Amino acid sequence: MSEHDQSQPNVSQPYDGVRVLELAEGISGPYAGRWLAALGADVVKVERTTGDPSRAFGPWPDDLPDDETSGLFLYLNGDKRSVTLNLDTSDGREILRELAASADIVIESFEPGYLADRGLGYDALSKDNTSLVMISITPFGQTGPNANLPATELTLYAACGQMWLTGHPDRPPLKNGGSQPSYQAGLNAFAAISGAYYGAVMHEQGSYIDLSMRETYAAMAEAFHTRASQLGIETQRSGNNLNALWGVYELSDGYGGICALPRNYPAFAEAVGLPELQEDRFADPGQRLLNNDELMAIMFGWFIGQTREDLLQLGIENRVPFGFVATMEDLTNSEHLHSRDFFAELNDDRAGSLTYPGRLWLSNGHDWKMGRAPLLGEHNVDVIHSELGYEREDLVRLRELDAI
Amino acid sequence: MFDPGRPLTGVRVADLTMIWAGPYAAKILADQGAEVIKIESPRAWDNIRTLLPPPVAPGEHWWNTNFYFHEYSRNKKSLSLDLASDDGKAIFAKLLGHCDVVIENYRTDVMDNLGLSYEWLREQKEDIIVVGMAGFGKTGPEKDAVGYGPIIEMMSGMTSTSGYGDDGVPYKSGISYGDPIAGVCAAAAVATALIHRKRTGQGQYIDLAQREVMSTLLGEFYMDWSMNQRLPEHMGNGHDWMAPHNVYPCAGEDEWIAICVRTDGEWEGLKRAMGSPEWAERTEFTDQILRWEHRQELDELVGSWSSTMSKTDVFDALHAEQVPSSPVWKMLEVLREPHIKARGFYEPLRHPEVGIWAVHGWLWRTDGAGPCVLAPAPEFGQHNAEVLGGLLGMSYEERSALEAAGIIASRPEGVPLASEMPATPSML
Repeated sequence: MSEHDQSQPNVSQPYDGVRVLELAEGISGPYAGRWLAALGADVVKVERTTGDPSRAFGPWPDDLPDDETSGLFLYLNGDKRSVTLNLDTSDGREILRELAASADIVIESFEPGYLADRGLGYDALSKDNTSLVMISITPFGQTGPNANLPATELTLYAACGQMWLTGHPDRPPLKNGGSQPSYQAGLNAFAAISGAYYGAVMHEQGSYIDLSMRETYAAMAEAFHTRASQLGIETQRSGNNLNALWGVYELSDGYGGICALPRNYPAFAEAVGLPELQEDRFADPGQRLLNNDELMAIMFGWFIGQTREDLLQLGIENRVPFGFVATMEDLTNSEHLHSRDFFAELNDDRAGSLTYPGRLWLSNGHDWKMGRAPLLGEHNVDVIHSELGYEREDLVRLRELDAI
Repeated sequence: MFDPGRPLTGVRVADLTMIWAGPYAAKILADQGAEVIKIESPRAWDNIRTLLPPPVAPGEHWWNTNFYFHEYSRNKKSLSLDLASDDGKAIFAKLLGHCDVVIENYRTDVMDNLGLSYEWLREQKEDIIVVGMAGFGKTGPEKDAVGYGPIIEMMSGMTSTSGYGDDGVPYKSGISYGDPIAGVCAAAAVATALIHRKRTGQGQYIDLAQREVMSTLLGEFYMDWSMNQRLPEHMGNGHDWMAPHNVYPCAGEDEWIAICVRTDGEWEGLKRAMGSPEWAERTEFTDQILRWEHRQELDELVGSWSSTMSKTDVFDALHAEQVPSSPVWKMLEVLREPHIKARGFYEPLRHPEVGIWAVHGWLWRTDGAGPCVLAPAPEFGQHNAEVLGGLLGMSYEERSALEAAGIIASRPEGVPLASEMPATPSML
């Protein structure tokens, strides 16, 4: 933020003192909770007694499975407190009700009806806590004929329409990497919670939000759904090359590419420097699309002679949208990202030295906490004994009854 | 009365964004009830208005009509104002006094070049919240790099994780995935900053790099690199322990269904759905590990079953057995899919010149909320009189003088009517 005012005091974190109850497993809910925690909220993560299943997903150091060193879990749960509760016991449900009484925000990702069946739905939890904001994150939402359909990352990707658009036109549709249906839903959940919590702060009235992972992802289909509706035409997948100036190419040391709109063409042609790019058949936007195949052949020939770093620098110098396919290694070593304090760098007792994205944006008004994730049930005593007032003997009894 | 679906009611946003990432953020704010005033110059408008020339964009006033623009700018107001002129800047300064948020996704240097630095914006409104969404951020050695969604995707690490696996080629998403991801995050940043302002009385500057937001969706890959110095393999549509886990051909051209089996119980369900074929009892398919080891053969056998039926019939058979599956829906099909229809995800958008078509409605559904889409995207300069006259108290004569001077306009300068244009091919 060197270009901006740094003298302004860092008054507090935006969510300081806000109590979040995270009844969510896997990626979506924990991703949203992670940023609330990093921005000051006290996020109490309620885990089943065997732990959030993401503890069993890895990756682990040296591929040795361990509930306390799963990379996915450590990434998604920094700065939270962990409490174990078995919601199939009456004691577990009672403790949850007590926790919810002082909560500002509840994030849950059980299948539709699970909490309501246990007397823990929004109506019950908000009865004496009317400014409670609660969000349910599920694959297909709380309503509709397929609300309880089982789903995976792959089936959600197919269901939202994006899979149809991705991959080579002569090959099957292709899933994109990692767990994007879950992650994007988590980001949407964070946006939904922040808006709703602002409403709760302003009006002292809470709200209940039903988020369908499939729908938040469908909204990102680059207007191709609405195009189908307005024009009545289907869109075909275009692989890595929508046209000569919008796609991925092989470089001398990897892959990279260009994404240029018509207005970027003059700067592009200048930067590349090939004389034929100045000819009307390419320089004129209408003729360029008619001569796309020829231009693409020229571009394949040009890109293969470029290195990744030179291509990026050429783009920076000429304001042309060039880039390269960066790997985790490139990013972890990026001088640019380190200069912007993008990474959390944590030396974890068990998992070793870790470097991973530690924030979403930079602000001159607040920082981001970048602390470690909790051990399973690490805060049972803090929360259930010290805060809710259960005696230590009660904890023993609750443990024996399999409630915590 | 508090409308739970529109918690940002009462918040006013000066929206200087263009194309997709920024407009998507401002759309989310508008859907939530914020008054979003989209500000475009008569000579430098949101490029998306004219990226899709007639006949793709219908109607005579085609800069107001294309589907892409409406999907991401419905529920907003339009003020045309030349921010590069002294008069335009003076009007913007007055308007800022009535605004809570300024949001832009220009190249890193553009706001400063226009004389609209954060310091200047704060002089007009001390507690203003400013969000800049440059692709690579406002600081650092790569801050001047430019990029649309796929470049963001490549530079974030996302593209390196996707590919068929047999050719070494990394694949980008079929959309500009970096844009909406940054847009959702910027909407969260604005609401978070509003909460912060309510609690502290202070505004803030938010430097949101699109590439960085996208990179936060790759946590486990960063961890694998830290822990094991291992880069992700291209998995195609496969999984590191599930099988079957792929898309399978169905009857018809380019018709597919995604099927995943996570447990022995789901495998039994798949077998029943397939009519209990003899091959499924072979010893190499008896447990999860064996099925994964023989996944290639298994994929061929499942595919030979699915390819004889329509994808909806395959889906119905699998749904009945609670096996995770979904047809690979095409764009026209998603609009009509029964579940998404039952939930009313798509809403009608009514446009005076074009008629009715469907856009997506609520990203998330708040109990007690009414319809999401209240108005189509605004015509160019549609709300000039409302904003300049109603909000800033400028007279009809003053506004006419501004129009005569080209500071405001009701049409982007130099753009012909559809009937005056030769036919041109379009990018989309």
